[in-house]
Amino acid sequence: MLTFWILQALNTLQYAALLFLISAGLSVSFGLMGFVNLAHGALYMLGAYIGISVAAQAGFSAALIAAPMAVGLIGAALYLVLLGRVARLGPMPQVLVSFGLVFIATEITRMIWGDVPLVLDPPALLAGRIPLPGAAYPVYRLFIIVLGAAVALALWLGVTRTTLGAGLRASVENRAMARAIGIDTDRLFLLVFALGAALAGLGGVVAAPVTAANTGMAVSILVPALIVTVIGGMGSIAGAALGAVIVAVIEVLGAAFLPRFGGVLIYAALAAALIWRPEGLLHPRGAR
Amino acid sequence: MFQLSGLRQYVMASMLGLLGLFAHYGGFYAREIVAEIAILAILVIALDLAAGFGGMVSLAHGAIMGVGAYGYALACQQGIAPWPAAALGIAAAGLTGGLIGAVAARAQGIFFIMATLAFGQMIWAVTHSSRWTGGDNGLSGVPRPALPFTDPGDSQGFAIYALIVLAVVFVIAATLLRSPFGRAYQAAHENPLRAAAIGLPVLRLRAMGFAASSALAGVAGVLMAQHMQFVSPTMMVWTASGEALVVLILGGIGTLVGAVVGAAGFVLLKYWASGWTDHWHLLIGAVLIAVVMAGGRGIYGQAEHWWRRADR
Repeated sequence: MLTFWILQALNTLQYAALLFLISAGLSVSFGLMGFVNLAHGALYMLGAYIGISVAAQAGFSAALIAAPMAVGLIGAALYLVLLGRVARLGPMPQVLVSFGLVFIATEITRMIWGDVPLVLDPPALLAGRIPLPGAAYPVYRLFIIVLGAAVALALWLGVTRTTLGAGLRASVENRAMARAIGIDTDRLFLLVFALGAALAGLGGVVAAPVTAANTGMAVSILVPALIVTVIGGMGSIAGAALGAVIVAVIEVLGAAFLPRFGGVLIYAALAAALIWRPEGLLHPRGAR
Repeated sequence: MFQLSGLRQYVMASMLGLLGLFAHYGGFYAREIVAEIAILAILVIALDLAAGFGGMVSLAHGAIMGVGAYGYALACQQGIAPWPAAALGIAAAGLTGGLIGAVAARAQGIFFIMATLAFGQMIWAVTHSSRWTGGDNGLSGVPRPALPFTDPGDSQGFAIYALIVLAVVFVIAATLLRSPFGRAYQAAHENPLRAAAIGLPVLRLRAMGFAASSALAGVAGVLMAQHMQFVSPTMMVWTASGEALVVLILGGIGTLVGAVVGAAGFVLLKYWASGWTDHWHLLIGAVLIAVVMAGGRGIYGQAEHWWRRADR
């Protein structure tokens, strides 16, 4: 019984770490620009595929660096050409343009990499299993937990302890006032969007050895990531981390105890969060 | 505010006439396409009622359409005759939409969209994992209704029947929008504060408008179940709702006629493009972005805009 709980807890943490990497950028661009980027899942998908291609040529650790950089550049280009303008329009144009980008990204991925799901083997260093009381746990999954926690800590320090982070927090609270005191919000938006895209790309490479890369992942990750964003509150790193843990607990325990109806729980949680606290669990009062 | 202008009546009548001729002179394949266009057009008219005239962009309409389809199929399974079963399916869809509307009406903009996403996906997940809905496999052997003057199994008869249902749905939607309720409903969208100030119950109007839109989506679901003679949870996933929204934008939101133009264009483009490429979604994505960035009027909306300017 103890083994069961240890395994469930580790699975939850591993899934939460992945969800956090993917949702952090979505949450911050939501809070900063009021922009719901449905194409964020497509960036995650591109990260996985680019990572697999790079890993085949230069190894896993090169992929771990190259894929987030490539996806960050793609994100920056998309922002400069299209999404920067779309972010200033209403919710419907935002939803439609980013939905169109999902179509395009999925088809381009099918053209380049084909329809067959691709697998990526974890590097030899992380390939084994660690013995736990009663069972063995894959080292690679522990690596995901550590990586997610490290990225969360780094982001939290960046947001709370640096000048850039202060500018970011000021822009989330009141964009016009931030601009009035001399913060270059346009450059900040571009930087944050590219960083969020890079994190989604990192999530993609890291997830590839656990779940094979497939052309449906742009859409399938989107709903959990949106739920993390809504539950955690927009524009808050701590909120995204809390939201990721809550969603992971609901999904992992739901699958373990209610195998038939585990899928319903997560949407019920989203509906409840939207009705009960649409501003998010950790959002400061009166800041909107 | 919706106006049934001469241009709109003329375009709607010619669309129905052209589709009727296509079904009459084309072969079996053309008739299947006409039925598919009519079903999609009804769903998109329903969505226009919520999104175009009420500002309630819904990602649940695919799921609500599915409630209509499953309601019809399950009622038929219980031995209820097709016509009363159709009424049950439509009522189930309208009731579902009314409940979603009542809970979500308070939310605005992106929060409303995500609330509909949540409720739509809940309906899909329950349908997908329940035994009484046939789960993943869906339900097969759904009957078609007895039609006057024709055999229901005949593809031409069914295509004409689908076009008649489309015409009736269009008239219902136009009448509803021109009724006192419809005017109040549009006022609640265009200026909620002023509408509330003159005593209109804004939240109740939104919920009722969403219920009416959902009942029409239920009509599309019943017709789809009759056409395919099979229902499956695939039609309920949120991306199906997203696709209906895409059709609405391509055709022209807030015009009702644009829904029919968009559905015809979308289905014809799909069959034409899938003849030579596997990647027709690439085309749809690019066209969608171009339409939204060009001002979001859509094919019919843009044509009407030019027509009015030339008229002046």
